[in-house]
Amino acid sequence: MSLAEQPRHGYALLKDIETLSQGRTRLSTGTLYGALRRLLEDDWIERFEQEDTSRDKQAYRLTAAGRKQLELELERMKQLTRAGMARLRASEA
Amino acid sequence: MRRTYLFFLLSYPRNHRALFGAEMLRVHQESAAEHRSQGRIAYAAFVVRELAGLLTGAAGAWFGRQPPLPAAQGGVPTNIAEAQRCIDASIAGMVQAIAHHQFEKARFYSLAERKARENLRRLKEIYGISD
Repeated sequence: MSLAEQPRHGYALLKDIETLSQGRTRLSTGTLYGALRRLLEDDWIERFEQEDTSRDKQAYRLTAAGRKQLELELERMKQLTRAGMARLRASEA
Repeated sequence: MRRTYLFFLLSYPRNHRALFGAEMLRVHQESAAEHRSQGRIAYAAFVVRELAGLLTGAAGAWFGRQPPLPAAQGGVPTNIAEAQRCIDASIAGMVQAIAHHQFEKARFYSLAERKARENLRRLKEIYGISD
């Protein structure tokens, strides 16, 4: 989800995930790169050399397949939330 | 801390280190500088999280799916070899099916071969391998 908006490099991903989760999720580099490796293998993200930096930073961006997968996953979560809310309302009624 | 990090990084498979090692170290150092400025407790928590993350990450890299070795390093990427095996098996199945006049089965293998070829092309593109 962190890559939905724009490509990011490793450190920016760590920071963004922390911000997105409101400080609840702080990934270690080991966890982050394990996840990146799996996403690369699934072809949901791609790795490229960022041009606008003096340091040779590899950056990551979503592929079309990754974007589609993210949309599906968000839709699934939305449906789950709706179902959960409906059950909660039913139990209160 | 840098030396300890490098030591723990050695617990990863070689192909993972080749692909991500330098980058992981760089991100770790950036993160370490940030946490160091937040005080001792924040830094200690960061160190514990990093080392635990490396150990679990290494276990995942060893026992999960293996990343392919970059072509630039002369390795044969495992998933490329696997895709090639899929193509070979599909062709063999197709030939066998045609020989036995099982055309429905042959179509199935033909489709599988096409998918495997597309997968192989995509993997070669990712790892910069030319035909």
